[in-house]
Amino acid sequence: MERFDIAIIGTGPAGLEAAITAKVRNKTVLLLGSSNTSDKVAKAHTIQNYLGLPNIPGADMAKTFLDHAKSMGVEITDDKVNAVYSMGDYFALQCHGGDYEAKSVIVAAGMSAMKPFPGEMENLGRGVSYCATCDAALYKGKTAIIIAYSEADEEEAKFLAERAESVTYLPQYEYVGKLGGNIKVELDVKPAAIVRQETGYALETDGDTYTADGVFILREQVAPSQLVPGLTMDGNHVQVDRSMATNIKGLYACGDITGTPYQYIKAAGEGNVAALSAVSYLASLNNK
Amino acid sequence: MVKKITTEEFNSMDKSGVSVLDFNATWCGPCKMLAPVLETVSEELAGKANFYSVDTDENPDLAREYGIMNIPALVVLKDGEKVDMNVGFVPKEAIVDFVSKNL
Repeated sequence: MERFDIAIIGTGPAGLEAAITAKVRNKTVLLLGSSNTSDKVAKAHTIQNYLGLPNIPGADMAKTFLDHAKSMGVEITDDKVNAVYSMGDYFALQCHGGDYEAKSVIVAAGMSAMKPFPGEMENLGRGVSYCATCDAALYKGKTAIIIAYSEADEEEAKFLAERAESVTYLPQYEYVGKLGGNIKVELDVKPAAIVRQETGYALETDGDTYTADGVFILREQVAPSQLVPGLTMDGNHVQVDRSMATNIKGLYACGDITGTPYQYIKAAGEGNVAALSAVSYLASLNNK
Repeated sequence: MVKKITTEEFNSMDKSGVSVLDFNATWCGPCKMLAPVLETVSEELAGKANFYSVDTDENPDLAREYGIMNIPALVVLKDGEKVDMNVGFVPKEAIVDFVSKNL
């Protein structure tokens, strides 16, 4: 498998600038994310304070960014990253479309509006989990609740239901599926909080309270600390220093994910710093 | 070295000192990622702790005994008594710290 010098996650201004800077420094780059850049850029009305691009509509800014990246030979791999594992002297990236390896990683995945449920983070790994297929075998003869956010989750539910005694499936999307058997689908239920009980969990909602041995939350976007296991956070943001370095050696973060202000030019500036820091890190690897 | 063991082998083996049990399964992605990292940690901490790998599919009783609900899970035993547990993939330095603080 090709081991890239730098894998960059996210195609907003931070990720694109990091990729361009890495290219200038002649590094091999794997840029993962949406090939249309970030919606936060493309759907913005007008941006007033981006140096060199006065009063620019978001759609034009997106095109300018993408054209610039393309002219530098930056290619976008349109894929979704499930997890980044620090393997020691390299990183393994598990994506929907396959697995990749890189010597260093820059996380520029932006901020998602998602907020964990009360009780979610405290009980993670103790019966609250984000991967039903991962833990299915442990649910033999047990019950589980799945909070699902996309149609793809129905496959996970089926896999879990083959092992579990029963599964309660709470779709948070337009459900048109036909799950059945020992899968009970409850429509239009808004989860509110996860409460640990003597055995198992109670899921409080806007309606009934559901109980089960375990709760699976299958969100489309995962929290940075789930994306990169072992990553140190500062509240909702990834903790970085002035070189954009995180607590994990060889892994950098930039853009909205590192904190406010959420400004395009700040994100691009941080992308530049992160790429240069990754370049220095790669040099230090070669000097070993 | 991380030694793969069964429930029977676990029950009859000498558990004196510090043992680290890695609960995993062949179909679990993060477990597969953790295995080579744990291998290097076991070499770094050789002589200080013994490392074992437990397949939860083949050894459901052992998984139940230790309250394993999510994998990968690392359980630290001191003279056979469970003293600490960590769930999920963790980078190498963090595993070394996690095991070392229980030595």
